[in-house]
Amino acid sequence: MATLTYKKEAIVIFRNIPMYRRKLIFSTLLVLTGLFCQMNAGFTQTAGTYLNYDELTKAVKAFADSNKDFAKVESIGKTAGGREIWVLTLAKAGQMPVAERPGLLIAANFEGDHLIGSSLSIEIARYLIAGYATDEAVKASLDNHVFYIMPRLNPDGAETMFTALKTGRKTNSSALDADNDGRLDEDGPDDLNNDGQITVMRVKDANGLYRIDADEPMLMKKADPAKGERGEYSIYPEGLDNDKDGFINEDPAGGTDINRNFMHAYPYFKENAGRYMVSEIETRSLVEWMLAHKNVAMVMTFGESDNLIVPPTSRGALSTDRPLDLIQFAQAAISEASRVGMVSEGGRGGRGRFNMGDFTRGMSGPAAAETSGRSQRPAQTAATTINTSDLEYFNKASEKYKELTGIKTQPVLRNPEGAFFQYTYYQLGLPSFATPGWGLVLPADTTRRGARGGAQRPGATDTPTTGGGAFTMGGGGGGRSAGGGAAMPGAGAQQDAGSQAAGIDASYYKYLTAAKINGFVKWQTVKHPEFGDVEVGGFTPTEISNPPAEKIAELGVSHAKFALYLSTLYAEIKVAKTEVINEGGGLFRIKAEVSNEGFLPTALRQGVQARSVKPTMVQLGVKPEQIIGGNSKTNFFQALDGSGKRQKFEWLIKGKTGDQIDLKVVSQKSGTDLAKITLK
Amino acid sequence: MKTKRFLSVGLCLVVVMLAFQPVNVIAQKYFSDPQFKVKLDFNRWHDVNELYADMSRLEKAFPKFLKLQSMGKSYEGRDIMIMTINNPETGPEMSKAGMYVDANIHGNEIQGGEVCLYTIWYLMENYGRIEDVTRLVNERVFYIAPCVNPDGRQWFMETDGGNARAGHLPVDDDNDGLIDEDGPDDMNGNGIIEQIRKYVPGQGNYRISATDKRNLEPVAFGEKGDYILLGEEGIDNDSDGRVNEDDKGGYDPNRNWAIDWQPNYVQGGAMDFPFQLPEAKAENEFLMAHPNIAGVQAYHNSGGMILRGPGAESLGEYSGSDVRAYDEIGNNGQRILPFYKYMVIWSGLYTVHGGFIDWTNDGLGIMSFSNELWNSSQYFSSPDLLKEREDPNSPISGRKSGSFFDDKLEFGDQYVDWKEFDHPVYGKVEMGGEWKKFVGRIPPRFMNEELCHRNMAFTLYQADEMPKMEIGETTVKKIGDNVYRVWIDFTNKKVAPTITAKAATNNVVRPDLITFDGKQDIISASWISNKESFDYLNPITELIDQKQMKRLMIRNGHPGKTTRTLQYLVKGNGNIIITYDSVKGGKVTKTISVN
Repeated sequence: MATLTYKKEAIVIFRNIPMYRRKLIFSTLLVLTGLFCQMNAGFTQTAGTYLNYDELTKAVKAFADSNKDFAKVESIGKTAGGREIWVLTLAKAGQMPVAERPGLLIAANFEGDHLIGSSLSIEIARYLIAGYATDEAVKASLDNHVFYIMPRLNPDGAETMFTALKTGRKTNSSALDADNDGRLDEDGPDDLNNDGQITVMRVKDANGLYRIDADEPMLMKKADPAKGERGEYSIYPEGLDNDKDGFINEDPAGGTDINRNFMHAYPYFKENAGRYMVSEIETRSLVEWMLAHKNVAMVMTFGESDNLIVPPTSRGALSTDRPLDLIQFAQAAISEASRVGMVSEGGRGGRGRFNMGDFTRGMSGPAAAETSGRSQRPAQTAATTINTSDLEYFNKASEKYKELTGIKTQPVLRNPEGAFFQYTYYQLGLPSFATPGWGLVLPADTTRRGARGGAQRPGATDTPTTGGGAFTMGGGGGGRSAGGGAAMPGAGAQQDAGSQAAGIDASYYKYLTAAKINGFVKWQTVKHPEFGDVEVGGFTPTEISNPPAEKIAELGVSHAKFALYLSTLYAEIKVAKTEVINEGGGLFRIKAEVSNEGFLPTALRQGVQARSVKPTMVQLGVKPEQIIGGNSKTNFFQALDGSGKRQKFEWLIKGKTGDQIDLKVVSQKSGTDLAKITLK
Repeated sequence: MKTKRFLSVGLCLVVVMLAFQPVNVIAQKYFSDPQFKVKLDFNRWHDVNELYADMSRLEKAFPKFLKLQSMGKSYEGRDIMIMTINNPETGPEMSKAGMYVDANIHGNEIQGGEVCLYTIWYLMENYGRIEDVTRLVNERVFYIAPCVNPDGRQWFMETDGGNARAGHLPVDDDNDGLIDEDGPDDMNGNGIIEQIRKYVPGQGNYRISATDKRNLEPVAFGEKGDYILLGEEGIDNDSDGRVNEDDKGGYDPNRNWAIDWQPNYVQGGAMDFPFQLPEAKAENEFLMAHPNIAGVQAYHNSGGMILRGPGAESLGEYSGSDVRAYDEIGNNGQRILPFYKYMVIWSGLYTVHGGFIDWTNDGLGIMSFSNELWNSSQYFSSPDLLKEREDPNSPISGRKSGSFFDDKLEFGDQYVDWKEFDHPVYGKVEMGGEWKKFVGRIPPRFMNEELCHRNMAFTLYQADEMPKMEIGETTVKKIGDNVYRVWIDFTNKKVAPTITAKAATNNVVRPDLITFDGKQDIISASWISNKESFDYLNPITELIDQKQMKRLMIRNGHPGKTTRTLQYLVKGNGNIIITYDSVKGGKVTKTISVN
């Protein structure tokens, strides 16, 4: 821990040194700290900055190079941008092969802008490796379990967070014609006020939908006609209409948001969801990796979703998304870009000389598409809420999470359609946890204030967040309602934002102010070629998704403790008891009890439901013909609850006194056990 | 020896001379059809290698039009071959609407492969001879893949045909950690997996049917029969106490596509994620690289159906304009294909999640049909015979009809009768009582050519009705000082729209573009309601609200069988070049003189 403190101080000093010197000093430091750290982690990066791809790569490689006993680094795939997706495997080699140990996958930075996730996963790795020598719990876990850490699933997207201009891009680098106009990436953001941040623009507009928030003049809210309010502003993303199509920033660089690309509740054809499920190198690599690592028994992801700060409701639903209205308003201004050019069919444009001819539905012969009259099986659908039998495990994890991290209020969160952690629960049946990894720390007087900017929904208040309603599947991305036309002032009203959740602008702004975080650009007037005078301002991209880098070390420790806690919950299968009774005449009765000594069941209910967790096998090592009665040679059970629950078996076999018989128990997620039974 | 060699050399010479002799030099005059350039057989079933060899022969015979390539490899490393038919003289592939035809995604559903082969062959042999065929080949591109599951087809052809529906990705059906370790075994080596029965006089639960000695029937309650059934031919290969419980396969290649894909517990056989199967991945990559494809036909068997999506009710019915186009083609299909019914997959067949044509329709914006080839009513197809079959005493009613057909038309070739066999576990038994693999879902060989032709005809009809844009009449009128009104007719005479409503909703096809190349300033562009009455009645125009008047987007494309008139009001004179550029409807250009 001493080296850690030292490094933290070092970085503070470091910041005051000009860039060209920094590199030199940095490499000297690397050598020095390298010497210091050979005893433990051997990881020479500091915890006080966010890491770009090269730094992250150096970090994970340094882990592996100086801790060959514990750590191995591999790539699960290479992105379109040529970057590797690293996985760090942490386990002390021992009797049980690593591939058969219960494993915790920690995966982060799916959303390109969510750098805190990758930093926290690096910190977890550091904590575990450093702790092996001194911390009994760490030692036990690394001896018996395995941690898989993927700090950056979307290195192409994350890298854009380290360029001079901060755009807050979440997507990877696959080609996407976002507005489907036949031109690729032709209209991205432009930094109009030269502050290196892409924020939003507000423009005076008598037809606008928005007005300045009377409670906090930095913020904007939607005018409420029911209260006699009139809109005074339109809001756009900061940029120019580069392709002169009437929309601003509707087709920036970047392709798929990979945490929207997995197979549960996949948002078909929505913004940045990808061309189809698992269409991306990053997502396909990860899914293939999951299928090849069936020993992964638990998943924790860092991202812009949560089920730890706020656990699922008693009906198994997750808390609502927590968007920023300001961002939503700006996005709404371009949501119609991909609808331009719809010609109303059958209307004024759709008529023609063939229209009333013989090509109408009523005259086209027999009735359309006959039905067979065959009876249909009842439609089966995939589960969309957490199975109530599994809820207690989510609740327990959440309780411990809050206790260890002290995080009470969720930051900006999104609807987890197509998110990885949803797939791993619903389709793989694994306990899957998601957290942004940080929270808003609010001044005491802000409790019990309602949300603003839209209809209030549970979970979207300023208070420490509690369980909310279920996500509506229509929420999230830009609403693609009918209508069209350019979205310039005077060309018709702007469309409403897509998300139904209320924005958390007010509480987020209070957090920034209270913590003295420079995360809001105050409105400043600039000349815009299309609009004339506009004001540029709003929340800065990096700060929306990340706490200040100084928080990494502290959050890293608490999350490492939580990860370690999770690894104590695994189901653990044991042969708890065996008994041999000599029935005479060469007949023996063998009784055995198999128990689950861990906390979790050997399979969650959803794992059984989805048939994705293999049943546990109990096999008596005799020839099939030796068995006279009782259980079969090979038996399976679907799931066994934890905390010492037992399953009984009994065989009547033919044998001789002195025979040695193996009783083997094999569980996919809970290890294996072997008992030697001697007939006597 | 010498004479023999001399003779054989001479014989070779004669053969060579005959082969090179132009037909018109032969003195004798024949009145038969013109000779085919490539002779193929459509009355026998081809394995994968034969199919590919025939495709290769066709490519060599018609090199100008045909290009044979591999879309990728199957799990076991077989190529998935696809033939492109394109006349380069009428434009590059991408400038013409493409018709994609595949078959045999289920390995056992083989006859679609022959239909595909027949289609390539027919189009080539009749190019230049039949006017419609010539026109189709000139106007369209065809992509034809006779077998998109070569592992499954080859397994079906090489073995007894069981479990060939899937491909050969390893799947542990019985969840014992071993893969495909206990399939059936052809113990008597006759190529057929038979039933096993044991003769147990007076102690069994089956007896020989009184009406058809081939059939065993269960005895009535309280009675005794002379036979018991012991399952299908095989042994317990993995000594787990069960016989034939883990054969090849165990999944469904037609549930691995990316629309409405559902996990295995909802849709059995879906695999772990869409495009996990190398065959599906390769095929999809080909489709996505060919956005000009505007029609899909995927041949399956059987039942006599012309199917369209959606595969599940939850997906919702297509919008009216799409349904109208599908109905037009589907209903005519019923006339082209007697005994075939035009149906929607979920309501007519059964619910399919993650099926191929849902992906091509919803995900790629391609009008897609899937024919279920062969309907058993075709065995006795006249109205009289169909009526007679309703009489239970008729020898062609019910199950008896199969025996009748086999006896009188196939000369007993299709049924494997019971024969004694010494089984290593069961002792003295009889094996047999099995129809061969080509019976049931596949037509009798002698009826296959008609199946090939009629299904091809339906697919060529669909290909002909893919969108094709034309620029029609243009009218220029001076309406002010240096201001002109320009009317341009855009027509799609075909049934299919250039962009389906589904494609427009999902935004999966690039919008059609109308570009205006001229030095004029465009004052406005609009769709006008009725050209003929425009100057007499109140003119109604729909102003086009787009920023770039010289590059208009039509996101939902141009409907089928429709003419639309576009009006530009322009300032300035001189020639303008108007281009209608549609990904699936072709690209057409017209120069208009404005003055």
